[in-house]
Amino acid sequence: MSATGLSVSVLAYVPPSVLFRRRAAIIAGVVAFVSAAGIYLNFKPWMLFTDFHHLVRLADEMIPPNVALLWRKTALYQSVAETVAMAFLGTLVGGVVAFGLAFVAAKNTTPHPWLRSVARLGFGVERATPNFVVLLILFIAFGFGPYAAMIALAIGSVGMFGKLFADAIEQIDPGPCEAVASVGANPLQVIRYAVIPQVLPSVVANGFYAFDVNMRAAIALGVYGGGGIGFELQLAMKVLRYPDVLALILLVIVLITGMERVSDLIRRSLLRSDILK
Amino acid sequence: MLNVEQLTKKLPDGRALLNGISFRVARGEFVGVLGASGAGKSLTLRCILGLTQADGGTATLQANDGQTFELTTCKGRCQREARRRMGVIFQGFNLVKRLRVIDNVMIGRLAQIHPLRSWLYGFTDAEAAEALEALRRVKMEKYADRITGSLSGGEMQRVAIARAVFQKPSLYLADEPIASLDPSNSLAIMKLLQPLAKETPVLGVFHQPEMTARFCTRVIAIKHGKVVYDGDPVLSHAQLEDIYGDELMQVLRPTPALPPEPEASSSAFVGQVDEATPGLLAKQAT
Amino acid sequence: MNFPTTGSPRSAGPLLPLRLRKPLLVLIVLGGLVVVSARLCKVDLAEFVPGLAKGVEVLRFFFPPDWSSLQEMVGPALVTVLLAAVATPLGVLLSFFFGLAGARNLSPGWLRSTARTLIGVERALPEIIVLLLLVAALGVGPFPGVLALAIGSVGMLGKLFADAIEELDAKVLESVGSVGATHSQIIRFAVLPEVMPALLSHSIFRFEVNLRASVLLGAVGAGGIGFELQKAMALLEYERAMMAVLVTLLLVFGAERISDYLRRRVLDGGKLA
Repeated sequence: MSATGLSVSVLAYVPPSVLFRRRAAIIAGVVAFVSAAGIYLNFKPWMLFTDFHHLVRLADEMIPPNVALLWRKTALYQSVAETVAMAFLGTLVGGVVAFGLAFVAAKNTTPHPWLRSVARLGFGVERATPNFVVLLILFIAFGFGPYAAMIALAIGSVGMFGKLFADAIEQIDPGPCEAVASVGANPLQVIRYAVIPQVLPSVVANGFYAFDVNMRAAIALGVYGGGGIGFELQLAMKVLRYPDVLALILLVIVLITGMERVSDLIRRSLLRSDILK
Repeated sequence: MLNVEQLTKKLPDGRALLNGISFRVARGEFVGVLGASGAGKSLTLRCILGLTQADGGTATLQANDGQTFELTTCKGRCQREARRRMGVIFQGFNLVKRLRVIDNVMIGRLAQIHPLRSWLYGFTDAEAAEALEALRRVKMEKYADRITGSLSGGEMQRVAIARAVFQKPSLYLADEPIASLDPSNSLAIMKLLQPLAKETPVLGVFHQPEMTARFCTRVIAIKHGKVVYDGDPVLSHAQLEDIYGDELMQVLRPTPALPPEPEASSSAFVGQVDEATPGLLAKQAT
Repeated sequence: MNFPTTGSPRSAGPLLPLRLRKPLLVLIVLGGLVVVSARLCKVDLAEFVPGLAKGVEVLRFFFPPDWSSLQEMVGPALVTVLLAAVATPLGVLLSFFFGLAGARNLSPGWLRSTARTLIGVERALPEIIVLLLLVAALGVGPFPGVLALAIGSVGMLGKLFADAIEELDAKVLESVGSVGATHSQIIRFAVLPEVMPALLSHSIFRFEVNLRASVLLGAVGAGGIGFELQKAMALLEYERAMMAVLVTLLLVFGAERISDYLRRRVLDGGKLA
């Protein structure tokens, strides 16, 4: 409208037409970028409609899910247990190692500043390396199966939670540390009595979060050959037994949601019973 | 003009929160509604607005453009049309804190623009200019481009009034508009509402009889869900005692000094709402 | 540390074992779980050190990385980034609708439960499974990849958005409704502005996540650097695989930096809309 004649400094506010133009430009920019990227990738969104029948066909082949598989194939329970065990051990071992390393990576507890940089860099590199590379190397070292996958998860946890734990240590209140140090405690005792109690709730919470993440990762690694339910799933897909696939997917959903609830319960009861060690 | 007849609202167990409320608001009036906490003042307002569903009775709004709305039975489109003609001011200001002041004022006319338009390009510059005029009326035009969350309580309430003014309604409704403000801001708001009432009637729920005595043209008192007084804004001590009972001492005591209002700082999302002491602000049952 | 409680004289004796009893129990249970899990994972402690040695030896084959293959990796790297770049806005849009549907203060009960359930189900599915299904239906390529990432975003973003919307002050929504605004107008003027910084921040973070996922999915058929990596490993061309890993590292680090910076800008400034 007529506001284009006025310079913005005359009005006490930025007029709606100007704001609209800015916003429209940003949206147009994003749309243009996404479209260009899509074209480069050969991504044809209309495929969703033209090829929709493929999805329908797949759904058709998957339904009804072969739920009977769940109680007929008892080996499945072993697979489920394997997956949970992988996630559990991976989280535990990785968590313990991460916890130890976190002290090196936190600026207030590290013995040497360059050690800290090394540790932080190590965490970052580990986090950025795709899971399956680590897994493939471990396959060579330990053979296929859950052993390698569990170690891969442990290593992954170190990367992820080393950073989180180190950040938590860096954010503690220095007061109690000074207090404990002032009565003549050595650094390890300071850590035991001043740092750990402050950091423990966050560590526990992150630990449960790590378990959730690792549950999903365990399934994904299973698909690559790591064993457990993920392996069963990709097997079923390879032999084109789609009703089995759907049944396994439902199993996965139940498993993960169930595990989430269980770990939530345990976490809450732990917090209530307050382990003040 | 507003005509409320025998408004009732019951709790699920049968107890009556509103027991046949009836009154009128005519042109040029500034009506103050008084009553003890839980007597039903805010509830009446909410029923008129349709924020709470009344169980019985009628509330008829006759708008300036001649249309009539039966507020208790109005739903959907009709309710939006009715609300468009009522400008509401809330106790907690209830503005969108992340938007600029001028945007909050322009929200007043949302019912008057098509939803598609509001998604596509929002408001026009001409509407913005009118919004600035509304801000000028409440002396907030310098704050037009500020983020609303950075304003103090009194300033936010003035913006809320500007929004209502911008709406060009047929009736203003105010739900304890000064309860969250300190005495000087309360005075400023009442001084804004009074001239407003001369052109468009104002129906306000208040917890401060000295304010209504000074600024309103008429006062209604509600007790136990019924109208027990309707007339001269100045009430005698005996009448006040009858209305408020034990609460009278608290209500008449001058509002204790609230903690100093946060400095309207440049940091965007401060948005502190000052709450007055609990004794004066028992939550109204909905 | 055994101070007798006032008013109820108890001997210090029973208190001591009781206090130690609970953590001891926890340790025993934990130990049991560890043993069971180790058995299930076929953990062979004897094999551990030699295995580790073997792994370290394998690592030797990865160095030096094959710099000559760097040029060939640029294209796939771009593909990986673009996959995430296209999928994230789509995922955000989709999640926004799920978020609106999943918010208690905006959506009728049945719609909310349905939306939240769908979001929960999606969250429980690792992305790779979504991709495998899509690949089974549509073949390999960027299309199922983008779709898998976009749908995968709904689990995380849908929940975050719905939670953010539910935390809005109901009185503000009511206030905008009181001028006669329609539902969509309330969303546009009261919900969107308040929720926008959180939305942007989570979306930017999701791009980071999608980038990593894009690499992983690439290995299973979506193309990009993940595919190159997988191919190199399969062909035992370890130096080339190392190059691919380095490129991945670069991408991920870069994305992390940019994402951190943008998110800080968004949360401090509140620009855009």
